[in-house]
Amino acid sequence: MDAQLFISGVIFGLSIGSIFFLMAVGLSLCFGLMRIISLDQLLYYSIGAYITYSISLVTGSMWLGALGGMVVAGIVSFAVERFIFLRIYERNIVFTMITSFGILIGGVGVIKAIWGLIPRPVPIPMVTQVNILGTDIPVYRIVVVVISLLVYVGIWLFLNRTITGKAIRAGIEDVDHVEGLGINVYRLFTITFIIAGTLSGLAGGLHAPLIMVDPQMGLHVLAFVFMVVIIGGLGSIKGTLVSAFLVGQVVSLGSLIYAPLAQMAPFAIMLLILLIKPTGLYGSKLLKR
Amino acid sequence: MLNKVRWWRGILLMFLLLLILRIFLPLPFVNEILVFSIYTMGCNFLLGRVGFISFGQPAYLAVGAYGTAFYLYYFGSNPYVGILIGIAVGLIVAVIVGPFFVRLRSDYFALVNLALAVIVFYLMEKVLAGITFGDNGLWFLTNIDSTPVLDLGKPSDFFIFAFLVALAVWAFYKYLDDSIYGACCLATKINEDKLEFLGYSNFNIRLLAFVIANTTTALAGALYAVYFGFVSPEITSHARCADPVVVTILGGVGTLYGPIIGAIAYTGMKDLISGMIGNWELFIGFLLVFIMLAGEKGIWGTLEPILTRFIYRTHKKRVGDSK
Repeated sequence: MDAQLFISGVIFGLSIGSIFFLMAVGLSLCFGLMRIISLDQLLYYSIGAYITYSISLVTGSMWLGALGGMVVAGIVSFAVERFIFLRIYERNIVFTMITSFGILIGGVGVIKAIWGLIPRPVPIPMVTQVNILGTDIPVYRIVVVVISLLVYVGIWLFLNRTITGKAIRAGIEDVDHVEGLGINVYRLFTITFIIAGTLSGLAGGLHAPLIMVDPQMGLHVLAFVFMVVIIGGLGSIKGTLVSAFLVGQVVSLGSLIYAPLAQMAPFAIMLLILLIKPTGLYGSKLLKR
Repeated sequence: MLNKVRWWRGILLMFLLLLILRIFLPLPFVNEILVFSIYTMGCNFLLGRVGFISFGQPAYLAVGAYGTAFYLYYFGSNPYVGILIGIAVGLIVAVIVGPFFVRLRSDYFALVNLALAVIVFYLMEKVLAGITFGDNGLWFLTNIDSTPVLDLGKPSDFFIFAFLVALAVWAFYKYLDDSIYGACCLATKINEDKLEFLGYSNFNIRLLAFVIANTTTALAGALYAVYFGFVSPEITSHARCADPVVVTILGGVGTLYGPIIGAIAYTGMKDLISGMIGNWELFIGFLLVFIMLAGEKGIWGTLEPILTRFIYRTHKKRVGDSK
């Protein structure tokens, strides 16, 4: 493998990893605080991508589209939280998993009804390339990585510097005590869910120019996103960041060595990590409620 | 003797219903229901008895189907031997992966199984494309021998065979439910610490349940392979991973006859609705959410208490008469 291929592979892996991180961080937060497995994050991802497609078709600006996708995904996740999840927070985790899978499938049906089955292209907003160590790298991919790192910093600041964020962190440790302090935990749940949905929408919007937008796109990345969450450990933000970039690199560099490896190697790594440490890299032990 | 009759009564009534369906419905439809209900039974056992939800049942279905398909395509031509080989391969795979999987908590278990389904999909589509022919699939319908008694190539004879197999599967699961082992399974779902305290090993109980359930699923895969004479990686695709879970919940989680009722309702609705609006996922997704919000009991779970109360009342009257 020559150096040029390697560098472009690493950059590709970083950008894929950023997308995975944006989606997985929502799932991880939802699991940590509410103890739900919210498969419907994949739906907000598709919604973000489709809104990006529609807006960029009308206005010609993909960035405006991604912003619109974020907003719409946030609104949809708020509605879903109000009407469905609010009723089932108390149930066990398998229950939420099945229900959210129903929402995901139903939402994919709605998307098919609105936009049709044909895959849609979204134009890349920045066609310029930058030269790194003799390799031409599309600037857009670097921008995606920077955005996801900014999101990580933003979430870190939110969780560590604001009262709401501190309450969320306390809730991840012990939600009953937080409730005992007089904090309305259901408002925390709603805020967390909307953050998760918005980030998934952002991931969809940013991923849209790199792939074709099609109704099944959520189901295609589902396995990878869950792998990221499992490897990192459910409920840990730092673990999610590490494992997202790990999986991104494995997917990208693996495909350079042997094409089918891109799909298989991450699963092998996941099985290996689960065998050594059944809670993932940074997962906590106390997970019963 | 009377106890035996009472034991068999429910199963026989349910299969009588299937025989009646055979008269009114087209044959491929009933065959689909039979195989699908066997397929769902494994998932139902895992979810309802042991408390493990598995989004990866298609992986084990594919293992059974490909086991049969490889035999019928490359080596032999006897469909019965093919089915036995499919079951054996499913058993071996379940025994190999089981010890790793059942150690995990329920939520991780679901996701790891989903991952396994994806691995099997890519294995069959890309890595082993040399012998599975990738997306084109293996066609071996003409390789299947016609046997003298039950010719599995004929749909009508296949119905009789699948019917007998399903009857045996249900008798087996009813036996399991009545045994101490069935009680242990329920106990490990409800309170594993107490079960451990009583001297049973949670790990062994779960491992056995995992092997039983996935061998049943592999059996369904083998039946699919023989029935269609064709296997492609499509059977483990993402879009179908939810099918067994949906049917299990539709029929009623953990009930004995839930899978049959669920399979009838699911295939029936799929047929009717995909003919009408062509947007099948939309409907099945919202149906799933609706059932979960309405109390997750499913069709049979709602019907069963009504039926038992009815039977119990008539039974009590009869007992009262004899006094």
